[in-house]
Amino acid sequence: MSARPTTNVLLTGVGGQGVVLASYVLSQVAMSEGYDVKQSEVHGMAQRGGSVTSHFRFGDKVWSPLVAPGTADLLMAFEALEGLRYVNWLKPGGVLVYNTQRINPSPVSAGLATYPADIDALIRAAWPNVKCVNANALAAQAGTAKAANVAMLGAISPTLPFALDTWEAVIRRAVPPKTVDVNLEAFRLGAASASAPATECKTR
Amino acid sequence: MNHMKQLTITSDAPGAPLLLLGNEAIARGAIEAGVTVLSSYPGTPSSEIGQAVIDAAKDLPHMYVEWSANEKLGFEVAFSASMTGVRTMTTMKHVGLNVAHDPVMTACNMGVKGGLVVVVADDPHMHSSQNEQDSRYVALQGYLPVFEPATGQEAKDMMADAFMFSEEWGQMVMFRPVTRLSHARSRVILGPIERPEREAVFDKDSTRWVCQPSNSRRHRVEMLTRHARIKEAADSFKYNRLDLRPGAKLGIIASGLGWAYLEDAVRWLGIADQVSILKLGMTVPIPDKLVLELLEATPEVLVVEDLEPIIENQVKVVAQNHKIAKTIHGKNVVPVNGELSTRRVMEALAQVLSVEMPVDFRSLDAVGDEAAPLLPLRPPALCSGCPHRASLYAEGQAARKYKREFKKEVAARCGDIGCYGLGFFAPLSSDDTQICMSASLGAAQGIAQATGGPTIAHIGDSTFFHSGLSSLANAVFNNANVTLLILDNAITAQTGFQEDPATGRTASGSPSPVIKPEDVARAMQVKFVEVVDPFEVDTTIDTIGRALRSEGPAVVVCRQACQVLKQRELKEEGKRFVPCEIDREACNDCRVCIKRLGCPAILIEAEGVVIDSGQCTGCMVCAAVCPKDAIKSVGSR
Repeated sequence: MSARPTTNVLLTGVGGQGVVLASYVLSQVAMSEGYDVKQSEVHGMAQRGGSVTSHFRFGDKVWSPLVAPGTADLLMAFEALEGLRYVNWLKPGGVLVYNTQRINPSPVSAGLATYPADIDALIRAAWPNVKCVNANALAAQAGTAKAANVAMLGAISPTLPFALDTWEAVIRRAVPPKTVDVNLEAFRLGAASASAPATECKTR
Repeated sequence: MNHMKQLTITSDAPGAPLLLLGNEAIARGAIEAGVTVLSSYPGTPSSEIGQAVIDAAKDLPHMYVEWSANEKLGFEVAFSASMTGVRTMTTMKHVGLNVAHDPVMTACNMGVKGGLVVVVADDPHMHSSQNEQDSRYVALQGYLPVFEPATGQEAKDMMADAFMFSEEWGQMVMFRPVTRLSHARSRVILGPIERPEREAVFDKDSTRWVCQPSNSRRHRVEMLTRHARIKEAADSFKYNRLDLRPGAKLGIIASGLGWAYLEDAVRWLGIADQVSILKLGMTVPIPDKLVLELLEATPEVLVVEDLEPIIENQVKVVAQNHKIAKTIHGKNVVPVNGELSTRRVMEALAQVLSVEMPVDFRSLDAVGDEAAPLLPLRPPALCSGCPHRASLYAEGQAARKYKREFKKEVAARCGDIGCYGLGFFAPLSSDDTQICMSASLGAAQGIAQATGGPTIAHIGDSTFFHSGLSSLANAVFNNANVTLLILDNAITAQTGFQEDPATGRTASGSPSPVIKPEDVARAMQVKFVEVVDPFEVDTTIDTIGRALRSEGPAVVVCRQACQVLKQRELKEEGKRFVPCEIDREACNDCRVCIKRLGCPAILIEAEGVVIDSGQCTGCMVCAAVCPKDAIKSVGSR
């Protein structure tokens, strides 16, 4: 087998959206498929409703745990603004998949700042290779909006070289036992959505 | 897959792979070494190490584990337990080492009996800390060997070996991960678990464990001798590795994560065959012979290390001692502040070797800078329904009323370390000072004594018991005009819900007495001591107001559970919070609730202000604030 180069994925979102669990699933999936894996996140202060990022790298040999700016093959944004914020981490040709969910940062809620009016147009203008998914709606369709993070994993699954069986086996172990079916359904709906092209994205 | 399914951090499954957080890998290393005592105070990024060992202890009956009241206690318990011959450890963050510094400096002199590893996690870039400091300075001061892991696997292996090393040399080891090691997951191959069969027997050698000067003069000489011998052994230390390439243009010395970034950087720059690398697993003391070999074999040298020039300065001493006049780069090209990254290491290499960067990072920065004004920041906020929000709001209101009544400001509102530190941000803007653990009360006293006061301090229960007890005694002793709010949720919430003296149970789950801050305050002769529920907003404002008007130090205990824990409790009982809702008829969209509280559950939507029933915990604090009485509990429909 030829050497598999390192793939860089940056996950961004808001504390409470399950970015860390999604990163954990990605790492377990890649490790199960025999890759070397490094995944890095920041705990503590950043969790409480703040901006959250997680770096995930896999390949035959991964040295450092951080994705460098301008090198992400995939930017997986669990919230639209947090996608736009990290667009410059993508490498040329890299893909941004974002969840068309708007979560107001606290300064916006307090009326001290404004959320960009047409975030979808801004994202399209900032990056040519964009797809979106309404992960919250898909998760709700599966049974609970809380599974939006797993719907996101489904949505990006076609862009990564992992087998469906591996995804399902890892998700089964990673989520609470009672929610396995809902999460697997959310994953399937995410994967089937095939991430809408950018022109159909409408964040709300 | 099935194999992995059953594996846990306590599985005795040598050779099996497990995906572990760096901190879990460190814990696993200690478990493999048969650690018998763990005592720790939590602090990001170190907390998961202690937590993982505490969780593991449920399966390992030979272990004693505790959350200690502070890092000094954590160290003292681990150090003195080592006097009984068993393997012991303590974990803390860098600023925790400041608290433990006093006993550490004497223990360095005394040496240890059972292996003792002090894990100190540094936090470059201050992801979750009040300052950036390099713990290795303390190691230099105390002649302590420092181990720095570069990967999760190494963290596990090196930690297990650190106990043996400590026993072999009779000296504690400082184990130094950084945030990006502690909080990075990777594949770790497990080793065998040692089941210690030692009996803990206190070695009653008073010439050894008593720091009378007559003993200590001898201890110091012994320590210096020990250190000199460790230094000689460093050249054959298995985690120090020299990879010399003939004709290399540059010699590079790297440690910890610096080495990991370096491995990426040299490949990306295409210069992997042009450099010789000395990877250091032990950074204090450095291996002189290996360093000398590199210095002699390469035209110049670059040192890559997170934070301060600890290795760099030691290398410069080696060069000076051997009259080697080559350039030694380090902090001249790698910033001393912030954390290392592949980019930073590439930029340093590009500068030293005059090579082209393959990526124009500056233009990427420019893209980010250009977009920034459009992108509102997303700072962390107190959770919806957090009782700290209620307490700090009431504190602010009481201060305003005081000003109206006495035509004089409350001189300062002093904050502390904990979730409530987020009160600093608007709209609560509750903190005029924040310094370090329990400094709120000290700062409030200083400002009160200088200005006449009054001042306010607020502090959580864990932080109060950490180092606030003597501060309160000082306030009483010197009759300071301060009001102390103790925000008592009976848990150390910020670092992940560790037990503390106010909780009523130990780390391993056995019951212990609840120490109530109000009882402590009364015992310390504080005259004004009252306990309130901060969700009773008017009562809380009134009580703080009376405390401000009282003579001398006053204590108001604001007692309410962390709502994250409350929610978990309700869930277990099959219940949920009863949220609030807005009465559309009554609401005039004045947004006072948002402007005063900034609760994440209150949102502005097209129809006006709404309450997100998924986030609302029904604390009713917004209802108390609303001038139109437009917020009601859903339960009152």
